[in-house]
Amino acid sequence: MKLNTVGKNIIRVDSYSKVTGKALYPQDIYLENMLYAKTLRSESPHAYIEVDTTEAEKVDGVVKIFTHKDVPYNHHGVVLHDHNVFCDKKVRSIGDPIAFIVGESEEACIRSMKAIKVNYAEIPGVFDPVEAMKEDSPKVHDDKSNIIYHYKLRKGNVEEAFKNCAVIVENTYSTHMQEHAFLQPEAGLSYVDEDGTIVVVVATQYPHYDREIIARALNLKDEQVRIINTNIGGAFGAREDITMQIHLALASKTLNRPVKVIYNREESFLAHSKRHPMIMKYKTGADKDGYLMAMEAEIIGDSGAYCSWAINVLRKAGVHSTGPYVIPNVKVDSYAVYTNNPFTGAMRGFGATQVPNAAEQQMDILAEKLGISPIEIRRRNIFRVGSKTATGQVLLEGVPLDRCLETIAEKYEEFLELKEFGNLKAEEESI
Amino acid sequence: MFIQLVINGINYKVDIDPNMRLIDLLRDKLGLVGTKEGCGEGECGACTVIMDGESVNSCMVMAFQADGSNITTIEGLEENGELHPIQKAYMEEGSVQCGFCIPGMIMSTKALLDKHPNPNREEIREGISGNLCRCTGYNKAINAAERAIEILKEGAKNEA
Repeated sequence: MKLNTVGKNIIRVDSYSKVTGKALYPQDIYLENMLYAKTLRSESPHAYIEVDTTEAEKVDGVVKIFTHKDVPYNHHGVVLHDHNVFCDKKVRSIGDPIAFIVGESEEACIRSMKAIKVNYAEIPGVFDPVEAMKEDSPKVHDDKSNIIYHYKLRKGNVEEAFKNCAVIVENTYSTHMQEHAFLQPEAGLSYVDEDGTIVVVVATQYPHYDREIIARALNLKDEQVRIINTNIGGAFGAREDITMQIHLALASKTLNRPVKVIYNREESFLAHSKRHPMIMKYKTGADKDGYLMAMEAEIIGDSGAYCSWAINVLRKAGVHSTGPYVIPNVKVDSYAVYTNNPFTGAMRGFGATQVPNAAEQQMDILAEKLGISPIEIRRRNIFRVGSKTATGQVLLEGVPLDRCLETIAEKYEEFLELKEFGNLKAEEESI
Repeated sequence: MFIQLVINGINYKVDIDPNMRLIDLLRDKLGLVGTKEGCGEGECGACTVIMDGESVNSCMVMAFQADGSNITTIEGLEENGELHPIQKAYMEEGSVQCGFCIPGMIMSTKALLDKHPNPNREEIREGISGNLCRCTGYNKAINAAERAIEILKEGAKNEA
């Protein structure tokens, strides 16, 4: 078969505009008669708030300060509607939006923002997801349990299987929160079109969701809102949740003038999700020949103050928790938990990134206990064509893990030789 | 206050605010939005321009400091509708993804090659060490610089 495209180097269609600086991101667009905006954000992780904008409204150049009172349906979220567009009674994490100040210049907005009085009546917060799971822990959302989601995976009988294992390894692993730090900080603008359509210009991963969420919050029909997706300066999952989209649409609709907002880097950090930190308690057992017999895992993901994609992320963590290994008896419980930490959501790998830290270290330790090489224990347990995963999926094709492992095995032998002859340090330095 | 400067070969006399940064002058006042702001504190290099032959973070230079200077931005690289060899190389080598770091990355590369036409890989790394990329990483940017050196040499041969 002759292929016209596959196997050939193709110049990206957008690369010309990007190497010439002609590619437009939202911050690059300037409209006539445009207003600027700033977002007032919570400085407390858990507090009842009272907001007084009286003085701030008098600041020269300020056009309007929007708060929760201006939003018909003050809720949004990609799965649960647990974010407020603007916090009303309570803030649940540092960075929660409280008000949107619109003015003739960015400087006027900043002056006004500083004049807004927020009284924070601090309430006890919860920052450790294990604590948050307890019955008597402070609740992040009203009286609702902090446990958002519990995923259960059951296969065979782990209790029985552990009895017959030659080796058992038990450990708890934890991973940290991670920031996407895409290079283009969030920016956007909004205006009302000639036909009354509210246009929101943003760099987003979900223009269709954005439209729906904006329409719902402002009590509009979907077709009254239009999203223009510009060039996107990196996203990695952090542009899946709404940030300024509803604020902008509300402002341009109310004021009938274009409104633009640009987050600086610090605000960008505050505004979007992070990678879920996970606490992963693992128990893995193998027989005397190094074949895996059973695995039990409890995975707790810190969702921060909002759910975002936590349900999907913790489900995925649970599904991938065995690593690419055949294990006949599996028991997994994964939980997504609210805390007053910054909220977490989608980030490259979506829950499949954290669990290998635990699963693969368990394999290494098992190998060491059994006196076989880390390559060999994997050779005996990896998914191959025809293998069945813990969730019951039979892998019928496209399982090249054996080839991957053999390629690593060659390098691994070289690595061991270098180590033996003491050349490893020199080699490492040359890398 | 008024300052006078040359940007991409054009003389400008512009009225600036004393608290205006060079990047604000370029973007907000003159519409040269190819220069990007990624951090506003000289960390990411997205706002890199060439000022009197040196690469600078335009977020760290006040507009008044640019009085009397000669500045090149990404918009000044094309000549007679022809891409600069560095721009061509970035396209050919697949060094561009989201694109937000690219103008700064290209300007740092240009500042380097203007001074040292034949840097080795290590020197190229050093030359773009002030520019952060979050999509592609740095190998393809280094490959692009090497490709640009080749194109520049071919050009010089053809002219001779």
